[in-house]
Amino acid sequence: MSDISETTYFSPECVGDGYVLFVKQACETCAMLRPVYQELVEAGLPLQVVVQDEPAFYKQFSPIDDRRLESSFRYDIETVPTLVKVQAGKEVAREFGWDRDAWQALAGLEHLGADLPAWQPGCGSKSREPGVHEHLMEAFGDTGLRSRKIEVDHWDDPVERCYDRGWSDGLPVVPPTDARILRMLSGTTRRPDEVVGLVPPNLVPCTVEKVAINAVLAGCKPEYMPVVLASLETALDPMFTMHGLLCTTCFSGPIVVVNGPIAKRIGMNWGINALGQGNRANATIGRALQLIIRNVGGGIPGELDRSTLGGPGKYTFCFAEDETDPSWEPLSVARGIEAGKSAVTLFQGDGIQGFIDQRSRTPEELTRSFASSLTAVGHPKLAQFTNAMLVLSAEHYEIYKNAGWDRKRITAELHAACVRPSADLVQGAHGIGEGIDPRRKDEGPVPKFWDEGLLIVRAGGQAGLFSAILCGWTGGRFRDQSQPVTREIKE
Amino acid sequence: MYESSLRDPTPELASLLRARKTPPASLDGKTVALMDIGKMRGDEYIDRLEKLFAGVGIATRRYKKPTNTRTAPVAMIQDIAENCDLVVIALSDCGSCTSCSTHDLNDLDQRGLPGVSVLTTEFRDAFAKQCASIGFGGASLYVPHPMQNKTTAELHQIADESFDAILASLTRQAEVAA
Repeated sequence: MSDISETTYFSPECVGDGYVLFVKQACETCAMLRPVYQELVEAGLPLQVVVQDEPAFYKQFSPIDDRRLESSFRYDIETVPTLVKVQAGKEVAREFGWDRDAWQALAGLEHLGADLPAWQPGCGSKSREPGVHEHLMEAFGDTGLRSRKIEVDHWDDPVERCYDRGWSDGLPVVPPTDARILRMLSGTTRRPDEVVGLVPPNLVPCTVEKVAINAVLAGCKPEYMPVVLASLETALDPMFTMHGLLCTTCFSGPIVVVNGPIAKRIGMNWGINALGQGNRANATIGRALQLIIRNVGGGIPGELDRSTLGGPGKYTFCFAEDETDPSWEPLSVARGIEAGKSAVTLFQGDGIQGFIDQRSRTPEELTRSFASSLTAVGHPKLAQFTNAMLVLSAEHYEIYKNAGWDRKRITAELHAACVRPSADLVQGAHGIGEGIDPRRKDEGPVPKFWDEGLLIVRAGGQAGLFSAILCGWTGGRFRDQSQPVTREIKE
Repeated sequence: MYESSLRDPTPELASLLRARKTPPASLDGKTVALMDIGKMRGDEYIDRLEKLFAGVGIATRRYKKPTNTRTAPVAMIQDIAENCDLVVIALSDCGSCTSCSTHDLNDLDQRGLPGVSVLTTEFRDAFAKQCASIGFGGASLYVPHPMQNKTTAELHQIADESFDAILASLTRQAEVAA
């Protein structure tokens, strides 16, 4: 029960003892009950009518104009009509919708509305329409938000002020107002003040509230929050080495691959143009992670982000795996997550190296063909120096599938096909300075990747004998120190 | 109507103001834009500054806004960004000049040019307020108010007296000193 005696919003109209009635013109039941309101008045009951839309419609009751919805918000009205009984400034009972017996009991009038149907449901309160409640919280309630408030002048453009404050990756951001932040927080059950982890490079604590603010900036929908939070937690796993990855002179950034039912639920793209633009979830989840690194961690290009060239993937790089073909084991399952669970895998990688092969017909041919491109990752003469993620398109997978090759077989065959003789790879060989340690000259066959260093994901449109190789970061050469990380998404 | 308040996405370890671009350690080989805000008498102050910069071997380029009551034309801002490394904006002695010139200072800073705005002492608060509203930690320097009733000789003397501080604010020494 709300204590209305302490509020000033309602005075001087507010009555200490009596009834407060919330209605709107657009509600058929509210309108139908006008004779009932008249009966209440004629019976001498102190009645204050509060109208959410058109006060003139109820003018005979001298209503309170609540188009701002402040009273409706403070009384926490969910349905109209709602009749509230107040005694000594406190609410003691309420009825919503029309229930003749209940209204008669509440008003203490035996024949109230005797000519009307016994029961008729009401309508939703305007204060509960989509998106409205958060605005009312911002205007009249305690949002509970703890982050520093920054005032923007009435005539100032908040998008420009976000740029001025350095909160943007270069593209426009969505201004983080309280209403938007509250909506974003509704996407998670986690408390706003919970610390998710220490974000590099400044290693500062990042709360769920800060994650939500940056998710607003990025343009996320609230339902993306579990993926954003899981992505951040995965990035902060020491094995992911986010610190080194963001400060690196290399091109790389975190690439987020989403598996499991959440991908479909939130409308992610794993099909046509999966690695490209055009899908809100793909675009904004990856961006939110990067904005958290920037705004919370302080990873700002030119300051501690020292990438020589960077890459477009550093704005955002996030996509889902195509799990529509049951013959294909999803990446998350291959990496230890139970089938049917949602998960994120974060890979330290660059933009794409396109792979074109429209001639290979057999899995052996295609594997040799892939290997010729995969061995070029980083540099053709470097080995066990970077990881790689192969994004296998539908038509290329079809060749493997028809031959009965599964994920395990494809991975093993690719590893085998990527082996090169050490003599070809050592520094100086073939007149090229770059290469592996010259002392390995007589070692013999050298694998291009560590056993766990080649990840395969299925994505892309149904048409096109084109796959993509996502080159890994050079940090991957420290096999036990920097690896891709997979984590279940808790919803 | 725009939203009236936002929440800070950062860990709030730093000032609310975005620090201005770090100035160079030295002005050797740099070109300084001398932006006249277009208010009367400012040109006399800048005439003197131009000579003072030349006297210490620092290249300058003169610019003059068509009016102090608007931000600088985009073409002028672009010209400065293209041809100069730093900027001195002078001389704001009114409300509109202070507001507009602070935006100009911010605009150039975001294009990579650190700078300093010269204002009269009366507009210290206005500069701070404008900086606060756009979240910019701009550099400023104050000369005595009023300046409209000064003689040319007096304006030159004010320029002489402020020159060392201008040089300092255009180099990292000022940051250390601050």
